[in-house]
Amino acid sequence: MRASLFITCYNDTLFPETGQAVVRLLERLGVELDFLPAQTCCGQMHANTGFRAEAFSQAKRFVQLYRDAESVVIPSSSCVAMIRDQYSGLFEELGNEDLRKQFAALLPRVFELSEFLTDKLGVEDVGAYFPHRVTYHASCHGLRGLQVGDRPFRLLNKVRGLQLVPLANLDRCCGFGGTFSVKNAEVSTAMLDAKLTDVLATNAEYCTALDNSCLMHLGGGLHRQKKSLQTVHIAGILASTAEHPHGAAV
Amino acid sequence: MSAPVHPTATVPSPVMDPRLAPPFPTAALPILQNTQLRKNVAHATDVIQAKRNNLVAEKKDWRELRNSAAAIRAHVLANLGSYLEEFETNCTAAGGTVHWARDAEEARAIILRILREENATEVIKIKTMTSAEIQLNPALEAAGIKAIETDLAELILQLGDDEPSHIVVPALHVNRRQVREIFAQKMGLPELSDDPEALTAAARTYLRKKFLSVPTAISGANFLIAETGSVVIVESEGNGRMCLTLPRALITLAGIEKVLPRFADLEVLLQVLARSATGERMNPYTSLWSGVTAGDGPERFHVVLLDNGRSEILRRKVERQTLQCIRCGACMNTCPVYRQTGGHAYGSPYAGPIGAILTPQLEHMQHAQSLPYASSLCAACYEVCPVKINIPEVLIELRAQVVNQERSQPARWFDPMYLGMKAANFAFASATRFRLAQRLGRVGLRLFTGKNGWIRRLPSLGARWTMSRDLRALPEETFRDWWATRDAKPGKESR
Amino acid sequence: MATSSRQLILDSIRAATHNDSSIYADLPRNYIHRGALDKASRLQLMTERLREYGAEVAESSLADLATTIARQLQSSGRHIFVAPPSLPAEWLASNFVWKVDHALSHDEIEQCDGVVTAAFAGIADSGTIVLHHSPTEGRRVLTLLPDFHLCILRASQIVETLPEYFDRCPQPPRLATYISGPSATADIEMTRIKGVHGPRFLSLILVRDDI
Repeated sequence: MRASLFITCYNDTLFPETGQAVVRLLERLGVELDFLPAQTCCGQMHANTGFRAEAFSQAKRFVQLYRDAESVVIPSSSCVAMIRDQYSGLFEELGNEDLRKQFAALLPRVFELSEFLTDKLGVEDVGAYFPHRVTYHASCHGLRGLQVGDRPFRLLNKVRGLQLVPLANLDRCCGFGGTFSVKNAEVSTAMLDAKLTDVLATNAEYCTALDNSCLMHLGGGLHRQKKSLQTVHIAGILASTAEHPHGAAV
Repeated sequence: MSAPVHPTATVPSPVMDPRLAPPFPTAALPILQNTQLRKNVAHATDVIQAKRNNLVAEKKDWRELRNSAAAIRAHVLANLGSYLEEFETNCTAAGGTVHWARDAEEARAIILRILREENATEVIKIKTMTSAEIQLNPALEAAGIKAIETDLAELILQLGDDEPSHIVVPALHVNRRQVREIFAQKMGLPELSDDPEALTAAARTYLRKKFLSVPTAISGANFLIAETGSVVIVESEGNGRMCLTLPRALITLAGIEKVLPRFADLEVLLQVLARSATGERMNPYTSLWSGVTAGDGPERFHVVLLDNGRSEILRRKVERQTLQCIRCGACMNTCPVYRQTGGHAYGSPYAGPIGAILTPQLEHMQHAQSLPYASSLCAACYEVCPVKINIPEVLIELRAQVVNQERSQPARWFDPMYLGMKAANFAFASATRFRLAQRLGRVGLRLFTGKNGWIRRLPSLGARWTMSRDLRALPEETFRDWWATRDAKPGKESR
Repeated sequence: MATSSRQLILDSIRAATHNDSSIYADLPRNYIHRGALDKASRLQLMTERLREYGAEVAESSLADLATTIARQLQSSGRHIFVAPPSLPAEWLASNFVWKVDHALSHDEIEQCDGVVTAAFAGIADSGTIVLHHSPTEGRRVLTLLPDFHLCILRASQIVETLPEYFDRCPQPPRLATYISGPSATADIEMTRIKGVHGPRFLSLILVRDDI
């Protein structure tokens, strides 16, 4: 099984450890992974802020780059949602029928990480070991955009040593929302506080999610408030084994 | 408008005129400090949402009803002209008079003319956001006509010189002590207790006198039925029935999008409306009437059909769905942003997710341009909308329009967000540029990185992040750097 | 002559929709139309829903109806009742004062403690009483001003679902009132208070006329 990793612009720059975890995890599962260095960004930030023409050029780049990929794996549900929900409309609006067709052919081969594991590889037990109390926050794009459903839970429930603690109001937005976090910083902070109240009430050691965007916001707030609760992308948990636990040098 | 001193607000009276209201982030600030309001909003939205969720779970055909409701509303919009004409014909045949108002000014003029014909000095009103949209009450006041709001919440707000903060429970930001003060003062009841039962009884008595004496009423409409020329109003208190039945003349103000094709279409819309709005299987009172009926109700009935920007919204492919709205408020009740701010921050009679898309469009995108950004795009609203309006899709579309406006303004070169977006787009155009940008970013941020490897304060737009969140320093090695060293094979190229 | 606003609005609408085609008959209608409950269960559901929102419910056979009415009026503690013009004479129980509505004024109706009416239908799913304001149901003000409403609903008039009611209407009513609860408000601190306007006391007699 071959797959191409689209790391996403922000994971590449801010959370390389997530990419490393994805590589370790998928190679452990026998996936022949490649990484096309020409990749940059899916265009979500621009599209969602209203810079549609700019997003178009990024979308075009993505579609052309992955034209021949067997599968594209993306450890970010918001980026996959961008691709699934908006690419078609972008190409249509800009009158590019060729690109729209190319994209239509590519679309079934694009997967968010948990989707890739459960649907494409057909696995739930990825051989992970993560002996900690963990709570899961349902990132909005994964929850509503991609309808990932219980995939993350099916994966986390098979992680040895992991104690999954339910998060109250897990489907309520954390308040990141991309540029919303700075354009409406005060409201974003109020939403963050509400979410952290629920997260801290779980007494978990880790809060996990499908998206580092949410976790950057939650983790940034936790660190500011000097809390010991850590954030970790689901890839970090699933890649963790007894031999190579999460946090150890790669 | 001066800031009156009154018991319900600890801040100056909120501005609900989109042309005058401050941008959303600014308007939200004082509200975020109003703990009581936020608690009330959270409590109210939780209660309604829980009831709604229970009833939706109970309704085995909820998905099918929602599909039909959305389809019926979209169908109406595609045939709006014919249905409005059919409504007009049938309403007129039933004894009503139909007027057409292109904009708010014309609607006010029509209503004032009718009221003058009726020699009205007072008018009783049923809550209608459409009348707030056209700013009717100030116009009535200026014409020497006293408008009396008869919904309990609207009465509280009117007597308290305040503004609604929620579509269905407009006075949810007001507590019982505040209501007691308002009633005691304005109704002359110094001994009144703050028990909600006593307060309600006081309102009942006060309003009953009005219902039985004021001969002219103004209402909105939940639905207009084309097939029969009927109007449908949905309510809980009974003040609607009073206003629709007792006066001699009735004026109904309705947006042109309110029409439904057939009476039987109510079998779908009523099922989804009550569950979505108040978490009930059916609201206490629903009234339907057609024109004028001798011996039963008003002798004179007028409908004022209001365009005010709606036919423009109709033109636009993505935005047209905005007009499918049936004003249930479910989007508001589920919105995590609204939960923190209530309605006042939106500076419009229409708040929450629907307000964020409707308000700027009714203003022809000339005002309220901050509203499409008053959202984290979580899509909870779309999930609950009984007529399946893809609000996030419309928000993104409107954001593109706002940015396109900005593209022609010289001031854009001083907007850090604009500059940042252009710079990022430049960087994303090639891997070489992107890697360079990553390096520059890492080096630049070193200035702000503390010994523990975290950034606590950033300048400019970054300060908006660091006001409440730390940022981990950019790692020395990006993912692509790590991959390159680990996977150094001949023949690999990067563009 | 200046183009009327009506014309301008319709022109604007036409410009926006002239390429649309959407046929009414093609609209999806896959929701539940007919209920699955039998007569007894339907009656029971209607009773449950009515009681849930605080209405008093009594059952009666057709033969006992007049007696049941008298009993319910007695227990209401009220004395002066208004009646729609065609309310069956046998329903006007003795020992009470009856004002039959032949163009009564609002003030005269205000003097009455209660009203007795028939109904057009009942919808069990939501406990809704449907009035089409025929001469046995009375014009709208009759069921609005008095504080007590005794409504006689026959079991054969009760349907389970809302679509079934619409199916039953031979033609759309000119006037209709759908009652699914006492007047209520949650406007003060979300505390549900009953009886803001309209009758605060609702009493139903469900007549088992289809057994």
